[in-house]
Amino acid sequence: MKRSLIKGLIAAAAVALTAAPALAEFPDKPITFVVGYSPGGGFDAYARALAPELEKALGVEVVVENVPGAGGQKGAATIYRADADGYTIGIWNIPGLTVPQLLGTASGFDLNDVTWLATLGNSRYALAVQANSEITSLEDLCALGRPFKHSDTGPASTSSVTAYIAMNLIDCPIVNVTGYKGSTDTIIGLMRGEVDATIKPIASLNKYVASGDVKLLMTLEDTPSVEGIPSSAQAGYPDFSKFQVVRVIGGPPGIPAEVAAKLSDAIMTAATSQAVTEWSASSKRPVDPVGPAETVALMDELMSFYTQYKDLLANK
Amino acid sequence: MGFDLLFNALHDVITGGSVIYVFLGVVLGLTFGVIPGLGGTTALALLIPVTFSMQSVDAMYLAGGVMGATSFGGSITAILLNTPGTAPNAATTFDGYPLARQGKAGLAIGASATASAMGGLIGLVTLLLVIPVARELVLAFGPAEFFLLTVLGLVAIAISARGKLLRGLIAGGFGLMLAFVGSDTVSGELRFTLGTDYLWDGIPLVPTLTGMFALSQMIELALKGGTVAGASDKASQKISGVWDGVRAVFTHWTVLLRCSAIGTIIGAIPGLGGTVASFIAYTSTVQSSKNPESFGKGNIVGVIAPESANNAKDGGSLVPTVAFGIPGSAETALFLGILVLHGIDPGPSILLDNQAEVYGLIVALTLSAVGASIIGLIFARWLVMITHINVHFLVPVVVAVSLTGVYVLEGKPGDVVLAMIMGIVGYLMIRFDYPRLTLVIALVLGETAERSFHQTRMISDQDMIGFMAARPQSLILIALIVLTLMLPSLRRMRQRK
Repeated sequence: MKRSLIKGLIAAAAVALTAAPALAEFPDKPITFVVGYSPGGGFDAYARALAPELEKALGVEVVVENVPGAGGQKGAATIYRADADGYTIGIWNIPGLTVPQLLGTASGFDLNDVTWLATLGNSRYALAVQANSEITSLEDLCALGRPFKHSDTGPASTSSVTAYIAMNLIDCPIVNVTGYKGSTDTIIGLMRGEVDATIKPIASLNKYVASGDVKLLMTLEDTPSVEGIPSSAQAGYPDFSKFQVVRVIGGPPGIPAEVAAKLSDAIMTAATSQAVTEWSASSKRPVDPVGPAETVALMDELMSFYTQYKDLLANK
Repeated sequence: MGFDLLFNALHDVITGGSVIYVFLGVVLGLTFGVIPGLGGTTALALLIPVTFSMQSVDAMYLAGGVMGATSFGGSITAILLNTPGTAPNAATTFDGYPLARQGKAGLAIGASATASAMGGLIGLVTLLLVIPVARELVLAFGPAEFFLLTVLGLVAIAISARGKLLRGLIAGGFGLMLAFVGSDTVSGELRFTLGTDYLWDGIPLVPTLTGMFALSQMIELALKGGTVAGASDKASQKISGVWDGVRAVFTHWTVLLRCSAIGTIIGAIPGLGGTVASFIAYTSTVQSSKNPESFGKGNIVGVIAPESANNAKDGGSLVPTVAFGIPGSAETALFLGILVLHGIDPGPSILLDNQAEVYGLIVALTLSAVGASIIGLIFARWLVMITHINVHFLVPVVVAVSLTGVYVLEGKPGDVVLAMIMGIVGYLMIRFDYPRLTLVIALVLGETAERSFHQTRMISDQDMIGFMAARPQSLILIALIVLTLMLPSLRRMRQRK
């Protein structure tokens, strides 16, 4: 505690001392881009696709550094505790990091004072069942006469939280079977008939729709994006559109405004570059960059949305 | 069908000049394999960012080269220094090291090289044969079977410790206790983390293995002094017997086939991996042998069994990958990570969409399995000289390189501390004659056992026994567990006759 205070003071002093010259010539040394997950995962892929373009936009080297551990929290803490000089930024998993913060299990970061720079994109969810299942709607699933089984990786994962809150909103009984090793494995569990349904990102599920193994019941969004599948808003569940995975870029609290603006602009340029757009299409990973003002608004909105369900999550 | 594509891929590798990547992979794989504690996963994890600027197919050649070579590299250290270079080689120390001490290191390395190459080839041929039914195979095995397989592994611990049953069980129980540290995979609760977030993800495997196998053995060697081969008489210290080792593998072809089959099957089960495969292969070989007493004292079959299994597992671990784009092992998970990094989204159509990458990897694995062994055979005579180096020069080098490797992997000082603690625990286990591999097997199995137990409980509506009884694949595994438990008694009955 005391040490972090001293660290904070030193960091603040360092910022005060270096702020003035930094404004004039930022950036003049390599920038570290922290990813809270191992190389080869989704968040890492985004960072590495973006980094070369970010280098072009900023004119300095951008080094991707993986700091995996504790469900992404170690990486988050690494960014949060770094000097607020703009030379350490990283990618954040929202609401993957929002939920531990609400439950008081977060370690080393506070999302409320992160310097948000830009949103890279968000992934929308869909509800899926086995392709040959007799279940054709969410209503069928809730009227099985027993809680329906849902497959997921861990109880704190974003899709677990989504399934749990969403089904509680409509009083639909659910049993969350956790422990699957990755989102693909949760879909395989559905195909093996171990669970009745699963809520997963549309892009992941679509591969198994194409192979004829699963079918979608609805997508969790306002306007439908998959042909022939109703969106949750159309199906009469407007609140479900709030659930999504957002990939946000942010730095430690207190990055000087000019430095932050420069970083935001560079991220927007990189994210809309041809290379990143092509990568997004081939890897089916959505990139819809959004600037800092909208990002801050979205973060506030999501924080207050999940805060409503704090007690529900705590008693899960 | 699979074979046509394989030959095309082979043709591409050789004519395209990309064979250099395979070769580079083999050299890296051998190096990481030989260094205690570091293995294929370490090498691939460190390589992933480097492959970003390569063509995805070339990255596959490199990855395949590494994957196919590490376990043979690891067997060299296992045989010469009683220190498995990678965890799956732990079982190789049981008979490989006694052979080295008898001055027969050449024989053991010859056998290990040949068994590795043959095991690797058998695993890959099996993979190509099952590709058409890979989907059905993967879908047939669910959490209930994963749980039963972990029970089979734990049962093997109990029967492997002949005459030391209680010590084996204590070490296994301790391993299970360590496996339960960290966040509960099902409820997310944190357990036994001692208030530090270092332990949130459990006891990490690489530092544990480095400490348990490498550091503990270095303490042991340093205290003993002299050289490894010091005990053997001068006449037998000439580097000979390599070709006898090669021949031994073909003489014992039934062992080779059975252990390759075990390796392939266990390799296909996510979460078990090579350490468990080679341990079960070794245990089953000892149990079915006519003179089990000869094992642990330098029986060449004790080298052939684990080495064929731990190379065959690579072919098996690709079965779930070709079926659905999901990993069967830590190495295949990293291989899929390389694809993700190259903008490829692995899924159920991976074999159609990414044919070049998948067959490229298989070809690289094939070339690597054979190539690494050939390199090993060529250099065997010089490698064996390690056993004549005074351990006072050897120990500091091995300790420094291992600990550096542990640190480099994740950059966590805590990993180095853990490796040192495990080194001391491991040394005490050697000193008081407790089996270290048993602890490690339990640590590996514990997580999968717990996870799949809870999953089976939930998907069966709390009726696990009824659920398993209705699944033929579960019943077969239960029968295997019962049979394994009865083996020692059956043997005794046979001996009495």
